[in-house]
Amino acid sequence: MTVEDIATQSFEGGAGALVPAPPSGARQVWRRLRGRPAALAGGAVIVLLVLVAVGAPLLAALEGQDTTSYHAGLVDSASGGVPLGHFGGVSGSHWLGVEPGTGRDLFARLAYGARVSLGVAFGASVLQVLIGVTLGLAAGLGNRWVDGLLSRITDIFVVMPALILAIALLAVVPGGFPRPVLLTLVLGLLAWGGFAKIVRAQVLAQKSLDYVAASRLAGSSPWRTARRELLPALVAPVLSYAAVTLPTNIVSEAGLSFLGIGVTPPTPSWGQMLSSATTWYQADSAYVLLPAALLFVTVLAFTVFAEGVRAALDPRAASRLRVGTRAGRRGGEVAAEPATAPAADGPAGSARTTGTPNGGGTA
Amino acid sequence: MRQLPLTSRRIGVIAIGLALAGGAVACGPKSGSDAKSGADAQPHKGGTLYVLNNQAQEDFDPARLYTSGGGNIPSLVYRTLTTRNRADGAAGTKVVPDLATDNGQPSKDATVWTYHLKDGLKYEDGSPITTADIKYDIERSFAPELSGGAPYLRDWLVGAASYQGPYKDPKGLSAIETPDAKTIVFHLNKPEGEFPLLATQTSFAPVPKSKDTGTKYAEHPVSSGPYSVVSNENNGEHIVLKRNPNWSAATDDQRKAFPDTIDVQSGIDQAVIDQRLSAGVGKDADAVTTDTNLGPAELAKVTGDKSLASRVGTGHFGYTDYIAFNPKVKPFDNPKVREAIAYAVNRTTVVNAQGGSSLNEAATTFLPQQAAFGYTPYDPFPAGATGNPAKAKELLTEAGYPNGLTVTLTHDVTKGDEQGPEVATALQEALKVAGITVKLDGQEHNAYSDKIHNVSSEPGFFLAGWGADWPSGGPFLGPIFDGRQIVTGGDNFNNAQLNDPSVNNEIDAINKITDLKAAAVRWGALDKKIGEQALTVPLYHPVYKRLYGKDIKNVVISDWTGVLDVSQVAVK
Repeated sequence: MTVEDIATQSFEGGAGALVPAPPSGARQVWRRLRGRPAALAGGAVIVLLVLVAVGAPLLAALEGQDTTSYHAGLVDSASGGVPLGHFGGVSGSHWLGVEPGTGRDLFARLAYGARVSLGVAFGASVLQVLIGVTLGLAAGLGNRWVDGLLSRITDIFVVMPALILAIALLAVVPGGFPRPVLLTLVLGLLAWGGFAKIVRAQVLAQKSLDYVAASRLAGSSPWRTARRELLPALVAPVLSYAAVTLPTNIVSEAGLSFLGIGVTPPTPSWGQMLSSATTWYQADSAYVLLPAALLFVTVLAFTVFAEGVRAALDPRAASRLRVGTRAGRRGGEVAAEPATAPAADGPAGSARTTGTPNGGGTA
Repeated sequence: MRQLPLTSRRIGVIAIGLALAGGAVACGPKSGSDAKSGADAQPHKGGTLYVLNNQAQEDFDPARLYTSGGGNIPSLVYRTLTTRNRADGAAGTKVVPDLATDNGQPSKDATVWTYHLKDGLKYEDGSPITTADIKYDIERSFAPELSGGAPYLRDWLVGAASYQGPYKDPKGLSAIETPDAKTIVFHLNKPEGEFPLLATQTSFAPVPKSKDTGTKYAEHPVSSGPYSVVSNENNGEHIVLKRNPNWSAATDDQRKAFPDTIDVQSGIDQAVIDQRLSAGVGKDADAVTTDTNLGPAELAKVTGDKSLASRVGTGHFGYTDYIAFNPKVKPFDNPKVREAIAYAVNRTTVVNAQGGSSLNEAATTFLPQQAAFGYTPYDPFPAGATGNPAKAKELLTEAGYPNGLTVTLTHDVTKGDEQGPEVATALQEALKVAGITVKLDGQEHNAYSDKIHNVSSEPGFFLAGWGADWPSGGPFLGPIFDGRQIVTGGDNFNNAQLNDPSVNNEIDAINKITDLKAAAVRWGALDKKIGEQALTVPLYHPVYKRLYGKDIKNVVISDWTGVLDVSQVAVK
């Protein structure tokens, strides 16, 4: 199931469900989100991470450390530089221990590393949305030639192996260019294809509807039509998809840094720390576990939250997707985690329907 | 004429040649490791020794191998005029006769060298070894088809500069005479007191002309050593050697040849090699590696385990990692700036960044810490183990930078590399304390090597490393500080582009000395004289640690190779 399906279906659902009055924006979404504890937990973790990233200098100052100072006395030089003490050298002045070899403070490096990981991921997502929505709108509203050209370009970007291209790009850009900005640009400029496709499909579907036609007949320019009539209808699918791509961007940044072409030393990033830590998994497992766990928790939080946001923005589509039958429409709002429920009395049929009784049953 | 540079890349090549990369050796701290194994540690003949390596033993042809001291695996098959002494530690830096009766008789000015062969020398097929065959292999090493060997002879032999090898030019090299089957005479175009050290390389091995198959010779070379080649698959990826019945210990007091068979398997991941050697299951108990060092994390694991720690060989290969300056780039033209950096450097954090004090020794001299190189302790800018930022600031003020300055340090981006980001960031942090802001300019590995070895692109402040083809000050100082070895088109190793007649003359004078001990003293003095100019800041000398299998006996690690010597090892 692609996001495009979701978008298309949500439109159908939207058209058929005009009767119960459309949700009144953010408040409605928030009300639905509140009913999903998993999504709320994910959201809370995200807020915490953002606070850590923003407040990294404050946190480091609170601990009394910085990211670059070497502490030769805290590592066992004769044993390869392994940190002295337990759990990678955890102590009152080094809350999460120190880095093997250098003795740099891990808490400060992880906190500052969050800035790179989250900053690059957010920045890249914003860039992807801007490019994708603009090109998708242009393709959907343009004539046959414009649409053909833009759609083919979009296809190329969708099928392109973005990671490999990113590696190539990062390798040729001169070292003086600020690395986090470069990472944001590379990720943002390469992975917008999905947004463009969703938006174009949505625009094509909406374009033929009466209210859009009415606006056009009333003399609105295409730009005004796009802004006043189409963009509002795009908010839900685009936001949903953005919530899905953001964790992907976090992983991409970590991957590039892991490969040694991300941020440059001494700037810390989780991917880079993970990369240096791989050989230490036996001698100093804390060093590996910290960035790995953070990355895991971050991506999990974003994914769970994204799932919740998607469902909250469009509960009917979300539930129908899970259920695979129209019967699930009503129950979707309550059915946060249907996949875990046993298929005791679910409707027989495709494998996908086995998870449905929750959705259908609660109705 | 470059004397064979040993950048780390070059060392890689040599290492392959050695079949053991520039690794080190020595069991336990420096003395024979078998002492630990107790009473029945006596080595016996028999069994199969397994060698687990990462890099393939490519180009096994004696004309193509670029080895130091004849290599490790190659020296099991090829005997040479002279060879390295198979002994632990410093004794292993001596050159000793192999096929020849002595280390060579020089003419008065060391331009003519004469060797005589021992009696009773035979190939694996029983035919006699003659000096004509040694001359023939040297000629082969000039053939473009058989490229890869050390370039010294092309520079040193009279009239050899444009020789194209015996296939194109069957008349051969007139600079090498073989008046009879047991005598060989070399005519050099300049004095070279270290000729016996060069004669350890495999181009000085015999190759019978009638058995030469050109580029295919490496698959089934004719052995003059204790083992003959059973098979050589995929250009050295898997080599199997078996005992050569026509080799006699009576003519070879260096190679012990305990195992009956030696199986060299390469292409194995380094982490896997370490894991297999530490587990020591089955055949791996009889295994060694000649090219895989323990890294920092592996060392941390091994030191915590007594049974493993007793199976680690430690060795010293003469190598120095240093900061290089290009005084043609500002502000490094100012000696005070270079001296300030020399004072600001914190060698403790640099050593720790590279794996700690067990894998590196802090360096203040350019020459490695071995007598054979002429090591003379000195420290022109004594700043202690952690640097002296106050003194550095003082010098910066004198140099006209009372508020500090900003410089760019160029380095290799390869993680864990000796010129890599770990060392660069450690220096950045140390210099920060002294008021010097360091910007890092990381370059991809090959681009970095090209950049620093070309005078037109050479940065002002970067990381470099140097090792030598044989343990002596000549091949260590010559390529780096001899003004006549500045190369303009690339492959330049004289980073400082120093062209000082007094240095050049001293190098020439020492090359005339055939007493290697006397020469070493002069090399040491020259090192000190150059060191005071702060053209380089020596940082550390790496130490090599390697695991070997549970049943391995008689581990010998010389300071020449720094690597466990396969010709001495026993598995019974």
